Amino acid sequence: MKRLQISDHIVLLAGVFFMVTPVVLAFLTSTHDAVTIYRSGLQYSFGGQGLSAYGTVLTHAGGFTKEVDGMVMLKNSLILGFGFAIGKIVISMLAAYAIVYFRFPLASLCFWVIFCTLLLPLEVRILPSYEIVQKLGMVNTYSGLIVPLIASATGTFFFRQFFLSVPDELLEAARIDGAGPWKFFIDILVPISRTMIAAIFIIMFVYGWNQYLWPTLITTDETFFTLVRGIKQILQVWVGAQIPDYDQAMALAILAMLPPVIIVVVFQSWFIKGLVESDK
Amino acid sequence: MAYRKTVAGLVAAAALLGTSSASFAATDITWWHGMGGKLGEVVNQISSDYNASQDACNLTPVYKGGYEDTLTAGIAAFRAGEQPNIIQVFDAGSATIIGAKGAVVPVEDLLKENDVAFDIEDYIPGVRYFYADSTGKMIGMPFNSSAPILYINEDAMKKAGVEAPKTYEEFEAIAPKLKEAGYIPLVQSHLPWEFVENFKSRHDLQFATNNNGYDGATGTELVFGEPIKAHFTAAKKWLDEGYFGYYGTGWADNQQPFNEGKVALWIGSSGSFGGIADTVNFPFSATFLPYWDSVEGAGKASFIGGAALFAMSGKPAEENKCVASFFEYLTSPEVQYTWHKETGYVPITNAAYELAKKDGHYERTPAAEVGIQQLSLPTGEWTKGYRMGFYVQIRDVMNRELGKVFSGETSVEDAFATIKADGDKLLARFAKTVEN
Amino acid sequence: MRRAVRDTGEPAASVRGEAMKKVQFHTPAIPYLLLLPQLAIVAIFFLWPAAEAVRSSFYLEDPFGFGSTFVGFDNFVDTVTSTDYGRVARFTGVFTFFVTFLSLGAALLLAVKADKVLRGASTYKTLLMWVYAVAPPVAGLIGILLFDQHVGPIVKFVGLFGWHLQIGVDYYDTAFAMIIASVWKQIPVNFIFFLSGLQGISKSVQEAASIDCRSGFRRFWTVTFPLLAPTGFFLLIINITYAFFDTFGIIDVVLKTEPGNNPVTLVYKVYLDGFRGNDLGGSSAQSVVLMIVVFILTIIQFRLIERRVHYT
Repeated sequence: MKRLQISDHIVLLAGVFFMVTPVVLAFLTSTHDAVTIYRSGLQYSFGGQGLSAYGTVLTHAGGFTKEVDGMVMLKNSLILGFGFAIGKIVISMLAAYAIVYFRFPLASLCFWVIFCTLLLPLEVRILPSYEIVQKLGMVNTYSGLIVPLIASATGTFFFRQFFLSVPDELLEAARIDGAGPWKFFIDILVPISRTMIAAIFIIMFVYGWNQYLWPTLITTDETFFTLVRGIKQILQVWVGAQIPDYDQAMALAILAMLPPVIIVVVFQSWFIKGLVESDK
Repeated sequence: MAYRKTVAGLVAAAALLGTSSASFAATDITWWHGMGGKLGEVVNQISSDYNASQDACNLTPVYKGGYEDTLTAGIAAFRAGEQPNIIQVFDAGSATIIGAKGAVVPVEDLLKENDVAFDIEDYIPGVRYFYADSTGKMIGMPFNSSAPILYINEDAMKKAGVEAPKTYEEFEAIAPKLKEAGYIPLVQSHLPWEFVENFKSRHDLQFATNNNGYDGATGTELVFGEPIKAHFTAAKKWLDEGYFGYYGTGWADNQQPFNEGKVALWIGSSGSFGGIADTVNFPFSATFLPYWDSVEGAGKASFIGGAALFAMSGKPAEENKCVASFFEYLTSPEVQYTWHKETGYVPITNAAYELAKKDGHYERTPAAEVGIQQLSLPTGEWTKGYRMGFYVQIRDVMNRELGKVFSGETSVEDAFATIKADGDKLLARFAKTVEN
Repeated sequence: MRRAVRDTGEPAASVRGEAMKKVQFHTPAIPYLLLLPQLAIVAIFFLWPAAEAVRSSFYLEDPFGFGSTFVGFDNFVDTVTSTDYGRVARFTGVFTFFVTFLSLGAALLLAVKADKVLRGASTYKTLLMWVYAVAPPVAGLIGILLFDQHVGPIVKFVGLFGWHLQIGVDYYDTAFAMIIASVWKQIPVNFIFFLSGLQGISKSVQEAASIDCRSGFRRFWTVTFPLLAPTGFFLLIINITYAFFDTFGIIDVVLKTEPGNNPVTLVYKVYLDGFRGNDLGGSSAQSVVLMIVVFILTIIQFRLIERRVHYT
């Protein structure tokens, strides 16, 4: 039924070329020195510097306190990615559980309040959010970096969807056995949700790791920079007399890409499931 | 009985702790700046040298990002009561920080209160008044000051058989020869700073009402006369004829062709020579920013770009004392000379300039002297600078409209009309924010 | 992604609060406890800033906090009538249209082909979807080097055809670069969804269709495409949201900190006026306008699209 056509492969290969080449070029470029890159742009071959830019970026400690280097930024990105994903999952599961499995006054109101958060992405309320975080003294803290990002309802809706599809019989059986709400949640609901949790963890981790605008505003203290933020820092030297350290920027870009890409590729099936399940 | 002994013991212990900690504790002060990369390293060096030079104060510099980020962070911190002691604010932000009466302690007052000698005549003329108020009192201390100067590709000049121009009229005469020799005759890197603000200054032309904005924000409006419009009409003509290259608002985008040896004359910053020396493989020199001889009174000093250091208010007296002592250290000739040598920014005091001269710095790098010389040219009525609010946005409007002139989307007349209209609106809104 | 979970086939009913689970707990305190963290965060980091944005849009404030003047709707009027706002709004619309259309189109094409081929299907799939994990600013960074007006490979290539591509100078060239970079980043998401959707079309339907209709091309448009409609509409919203908000990183890097005569989206302008220009009132007014736009988009999504969708 499905005929193997060359034209199909050509289309697919063209697509792959379009998607993959920019990053390959970025990698090759990171093996050259900054002046060459400044003079002649992206490079098509391995350069003399090899992987030394990566070494520099990871270990060269800059800043006044001589504490900031690529490793620190890597650590911060990990904290942001994990912190955001875990925080989101825990809070949304609890909230979704409450909305789905409990009958209580104000249930509707709570639901709509949470729903409203979908109406206002962070970019639209950055200034006041920044001020509030400043007032609470959370600027340049991990909690300031992570918590405000959790304010949207996506996770809650996701788990709500899933919980609604869990058969009622499970709860009935549990009740007959005398299980209370906590026991039901921990012993039955959470284990069933394992795949969903894994799937959404991947999505949230990538989302948190790739955050740009919020960390840019909230962390001006170098020791809190994430990898993605670090790239902006290097590029900040546009104006004036200096050449940006392109080789380091490229190395940082590749480093910033690696963990999320690896996770997405290795855990492909869970990731896709999570992404697509939210459609149903 | 036992109670009294315990209390006595506690009091004694506290006293001991108190005195011993007083003898170690230096007063901590913080400095928020926007100097990244190599510049930041020099800042760090100066700070640690300062800390090593005395015991009473401990300065921590913190890099907060670019100029805009630093100012925004400073504003937010101020509102939360957590402002730093010293903050670096750039020229376009000066109106914001100075207009907010009470946000900063004027540098002149701070120094005098803390018995540090201050005489504005010690400072070279071009830097004295930009960050001062209309009475001439210095509010911000110029830190990284630069002047827009003309860099020359010596090979290009030789090949075309011409001399570097002093005026734009001379430029128009030599441009065809440079083009024939295979070069792009002229490129610049920052339209607002080089072709508007310092154009006004070099030609001693008014930039805004209310004494270029120094007399107050209410009623300040932009002033654009014939000379500047004629200048842009000429620039557009040069662009069309291939005598002028325009590569957008990116500084580096415009500098690159010069670095690559494709451009004969480039208008950059006095601080650019370090980077140029590292990248180019042709001999180069520098001279003053050109002007139109036909404009009467032209050829005056330019005013400074860059940024200044401000002492934020609301800080305890000992910290202010430390800030004053740091400013004293910073303006000493040796420190100024080091800063000047390492970064290319001009030394702000006459004493530092003399020191550099004596050390033979300008024999080794003649291009380094051009900036200071230009800032020391005769001053006129309109050469001290400007004080306008929401100026970052006004610069954006300038870039946008002048960019449209070069791409042919609008005429010079319309562009300046729009710049004035949008700019005046912004100035009026700014006036409302500060005067109530 | 933030929109990923919002729209649904099944819960159209339960969104309106009708009966959900039949079996529920009735313990009094526990639900509130469970909801507390989420609601607390929402209240502090969402409701409060949103209210603050609305409040501050009616004032002109000194950024340092030394005073504020109530100006009524002046900020809104100033914003909407400024020479630039119309241009920015138009660009946002056009940009959104192109990014959505191109990335959906390319992804659909690739998904259809990937669904068809037998050999190497999973390799193609992996190679086409991993870009999902790339951060927008990284895409922007590679973009500016690819499109660098002096040395970018793409610039040299199109130069062969006589196109003098200058990003940073020519408004449309810069827009082009931004669109391409944004499309590149977004194709994987659309690809994944389309491929899943295609693989979900049952074999019997496919066989019946190929009996009725010999032309693959016609088959696609009359059978496959309508069946993909739910996915398609869902993706439409995701892509519009992406183009509106998530492209911030790409735009920021391409502009290299100087907006100049370059295209920016409405969201970026909120950032420019607020953070760069320290104009709190104006920036807040623009935020409020955007809030209204998103609100309308959400309503449209829930009302219009759910009705027109076509289920098997």
